[in-house]
Parts: sequence; structure tokens; C-alpha cells
Amino acid sequence: MSPQMLAYPFLFLAIFFESFVLVTLLSKPARAALNRKNSALNPSVAVIVPCYNECETVAKTCESLLALDYPKDKLEIILVDDGSTDNTPIEMAHFADNPQVKIIRKENGGKHTALNAGIAATQAEIVGCLDADSFVEPSALLEIVPCFSDPKTAAVTAAMSIHQPESLIQHMQNAEYIFGITMRHTLASINGLYVTPGPFSFYKRAIVEELGGFRHGHQTEDMEMALCIQQAGYRIENAILARVYTKSPKTVLALIKQRTRWTTGFMRNVLGEYRGLIGNKRYSVLGMLVLPCALIAIVSGILLFLMTVFTFLKNLVSALEIRAGIPLSYSLLPHTSFSWFYFPVSAYIFLGFATLIASLFLIAVGKYISKTPGNLTLGLISYTFLYGIIAPLWLIRATSDVVFGRHRRWK
Amino acid sequence: MSLIARNVLIALGITIVLSGTVVYAVNYLNRERVAELGAIENQISIETLSLDTQFSLLAATPCDSIASSTALTGELADLGNRLAYAEGQLGTDNAQVVQLKKQYSLLEIRDYLITKQLAAACGTKPVTVLYFYSNAGDCSDCDKAGYALSYLRTAYPTLRVYSFDYNLNLGALKTFEAVTKVKDDLPAFVVNGKHSYGFTSLADFEKQFPKGALATTTSSN
Repeated sequence: MSPQMLAYPFLFLAIFFESFVLVTLLSKPARAALNRKNSALNPSVAVIVPCYNECETVAKTCESLLALDYPKDKLEIILVDDGSTDNTPIEMAHFADNPQVKIIRKENGGKHTALNAGIAATQAEIVGCLDADSFVEPSALLEIVPCFSDPKTAAVTAAMSIHQPESLIQHMQNAEYIFGITMRHTLASINGLYVTPGPFSFYKRAIVEELGGFRHGHQTEDMEMALCIQQAGYRIENAILARVYTKSPKTVLALIKQRTRWTTGFMRNVLGEYRGLIGNKRYSVLGMLVLPCALIAIVSGILLFLMTVFTFLKNLVSALEIRAGIPLSYSLLPHTSFSWFYFPVSAYIFLGFATLIASLFLIAVGKYISKTPGNLTLGLISYTFLYGIIAPLWLIRATSDVVFGRHRRWK
Repeated sequence: MSLIARNVLIALGITIVLSGTVVYAVNYLNRERVAELGAIENQISIETLSLDTQFSLLAATPCDSIASSTALTGELADLGNRLAYAEGQLGTDNAQVVQLKKQYSLLEIRDYLITKQLAAACGTKPVTVLYFYSNAGDCSDCDKAGYALSYLRTAYPTLRVYSFDYNLNLGALKTFEAVTKVKDDLPAFVVNGKHSYGFTSLADFEKQFPKGALATTTSSN
């Protein structure tokens, strides 16, 4: 059996999942979510900004929150300094006189403790989180609030994109984040979300307290909270026009480090405390489709990457052996004529291409329906050529950490 | 039926249709590829027959058909490349590929014989290489040898290389192997009648050629 045969079930599943996303995107609930009307009600809202050594961005983050288009007497901003050792307290102090801003200082205990400290300090009906490296558009909160109209809705996520992408790696992440916008919008319409990201996710405070507040959640407290909400039978909605920009890793190494944390957090939560959700009909599409597919995606990402690397190296060694001793003027040039006859035809290539095209299409759709500004050309190019090479590296690292029980520091 | 169940079924349908289309397209393109090979082979077959006939008609001045013979050898080389590629894509056991290889081997033998006849009649000294290989997994150096011969054929356009799958079940080829007295120690070469076995490097292989043969082949004929 050729190595390619191993890949076919994964490619089939990838196309199936992308088709499912596309069909669901065209279904009534997802279309209705695009036309959600603004709420006449303005519940009290508190946005918590947990900070640990965020002196460079916390002021800008806070300013973007103060610029939110929302009644000032209903909006509270809680800056929580989680024992920073840099100038974060000084930056926070600039907002001390603002009546909307509350500043909390505490011993370092991790992001989940900072969030819980913020929740304990407010009586607002809705509490949100905004990472200190993220910035929101003024209309974002008005897009979030109407999504809480259903009493069963416990949380609402926003539409994230990368703040001023510069490097190719950041453009690649921007495309990936916009892909995430499409996925979140679609899966939220059938209650299939398993993460409420740090940048601008909101919760009903009463429900968060009922569920016991945020936990460490294997360094992914946002994922743990989302899984906890789903387990308790509540809904997680998405506000596709609530735009938030987040800073992203600039280098491949920083990106791999960040994503290793996310992926290990996912695996430890889903295979640990929340394994009861997998394959459980009670949790509908989340248990029967989304979580199993997410786990299989990790396996397939690693397997397809290793298979590709193995095949590439095998062919390279073979090509070098064959060409040994032959003048470079001949061996470095192709010698087949440019004819369709030599076009590499295989189901593996075609199905892989179909998967890529579907991904690019979903990214383009995400940009269109979320009205995300900016040019995506570089993002699509870098996503096409880099993502498949870089993503498996963090998948392998994360899987290795989970298998061998290795725990890494957050920063 | 719930919305999710309905969407799952639709997505499954789309995936099956798409996968089926891909499989059909791949098979269709492979069939077209084999059909193109067959068409090229038919064309060469006609040209071989034409050359053979031309050779007979011009019994008095057979050397007039040398140009045709040289062009034919080039076409055969191109067909060989395509056949090797198709074999890599469709597999060595593919019945159509095996059939085309048999026809190709017959054309090669025919061209080799005409070349020899022309050389005898016209007093030319073409350098011919008979190369016997196996792709049954029992010839680790065959790929290297094949690539080196491709290089030599490009570097010396008048060099005539004839490649044969030693294990091909074809009566004429078995007879040809017997006539040329080639053993099954592959890769095997017959360079202007001189036998050699195994392949180490291009430099060593070039030593098998008659002294000055590679240099003169570019200007001979």
C-alpha cells in the first residue's frame, strides 16, 4: 500500500467537513444571524482586561474600550494587573481618574485568577474579556449585546483579525483568523463552538458564577470555560460584525510556542475533563462532529506532514543518487517537454487541491460577510504556501507534550 | 429530520460526488494518456515501415534514408520517455502499459536492425547502446544507468540508445536477448557489440565506449 492511500480517508473527511460548513453557512440559522437587529436594551457591561507585563499595549487597549459606542453609565472597564513586573501598573494609573475604569492589583496567579478577580469586582449583567494586546472597533459591543437575547445563550464571541499584519507569518495568521470568522459564525448557528477566545468574548455573569468562574484549564481558560458552558447545556453565540484586532506573533518560533499552548490546552481539556462530550449525542453537533473532527484534524495534520516529508526526502535522496556524477548543466534542468501528458495526475493531488480551494473560498467568504477591511492577497498566498508547513510543527510539539506529560510556561 | 442531520447528509453527498468526479477525471486522463501513447506508437510504426520500405526501394542508394532513420530514433527516444512516465503513473503491471512496451520494444529492435543495415551499406560507424534493465525491484542501479543514458543521448544526439525491459514477456525480445547474448545480470549494456554489466558512475560507463566514439558521434552521420 502506498503512503498516499493512508491520506485518502483524511482528505475525504476534510472535504466532508468543509462541505458541511458551507452547507450550514447557507442554512437559515446562519443567514438569520447575519441580519440580527441591534437590541433596544442596554444591559450593564463590564469588560475585564487581564494584564501581565503588557505595558506596551494596555493603554491603547483601554482607550479602544473607552471609545466603544455604548452608554457610559452602563459600561465598566476593569483593568486587572496580575502581578506585572514591568511598567504595566504605571500605564494603568493613567486611567485611574476615569470614572468608567476600575483598576485591580493582585499577586500573579494566572489569567483565570485575573478574570475571576474582575468578575468579583462587578455587578454588571454581562462580563467580557479583552486581552491586553487587542483593540476593538467602536461598534463592537453593540453587535455583541443583541446575541444575548436567548436566555440559553451564556457567551458570545467576536470576529477577530490580526492587528496591522506586517510579516508574511502575520499575513498567514490573518487569513487563518478570517477562516476562523467563517467557522465561528457557521458553527455558532448550530451551537458547535468549543472556545470563547480571549479577545472580546462576553458572558452572562450569573452563568459564569453558576459554573464556578474561570479555571486554569491547562493554560486555555477560554476553551475550558466554553466547554464548561456547553457541558452545562447553554449556547455560545457569535457576533460576526463585532470586530476586534489582536496582536500576533511575528516569528515562526513565537507562533509555534503560542499554538503549542492552544493545542495542548485543547487536547488536555477535551481528552481529560471534557472527554464525556466526545461522541455524546446530547451535545449534538459539538459532540458528534466538531470535537471528533478537531481531534482527527490534529492526527491528519501530523500524518500528512510526515508522509509528505518522508516522500520528499525519499525522492530527494533518490534524485541525488541518480544524478551523482552527471553534469549539473543537465541534472538541474527538467527534460520532459511541456505537455499535458506529463501533468501529475492523481486523486491525492486533486483532493488536496480541492481541500485547499475550499479553505481559500471560506476565507474569502469570511472576509466578505464580516466586512473585515484590508487586503487579503498576501494572506492567501502565505496561507497557501506556509500554513501546511508550519502548522504541523506545533501539532507535533503539542502532541508530544501531551503524550509525554510535558508542561511549558505561558511566556 | 433535524437541520444538522440534513446538512450532514448533503455534505456527505457533495463529498462523494466530488471524490467520484476526481476518480473519474484521473481515470479519464490516464486513459487519454495511454491513448496518446498508442497514437504516437502507431505513427512511429508507420514511419518504421516507411523507412523499411524506403530502404528496400533505394537498394541502390540506401544511404538516402539515413536522415529519416536518425529522426525516427529521436522520436523513439521521446516515446520511451513518455512510456516510462506512464509506467510510473499507472504502474508496471498495467496491462495497457505492458502492451505498449511490447510494441515499443519491437519498434526499437526494428530501428536497431535498420541502423545496422544502413551502417553496413553506407560505411558509417554509429555508436549504438543496447540497454537492458528491470523494474521488478531486482536492479538497484537501473535508475542511475537510465538517467546517465538519457544524459548521454542529450549530450551526443547521434548516440543511439535502445532500452529494453529484460523481463518483458515478448518472443522477439527473448530472441534478441539470445542473439545479443545478454545475461540477466542487470543493468546490462551492449555498446557497439561489447558487453558490460552493472553501473557505478558515468565516468566509468563512458570508458565502455570505443575510444573517441562519443566525441565523433556528434559530427558523424
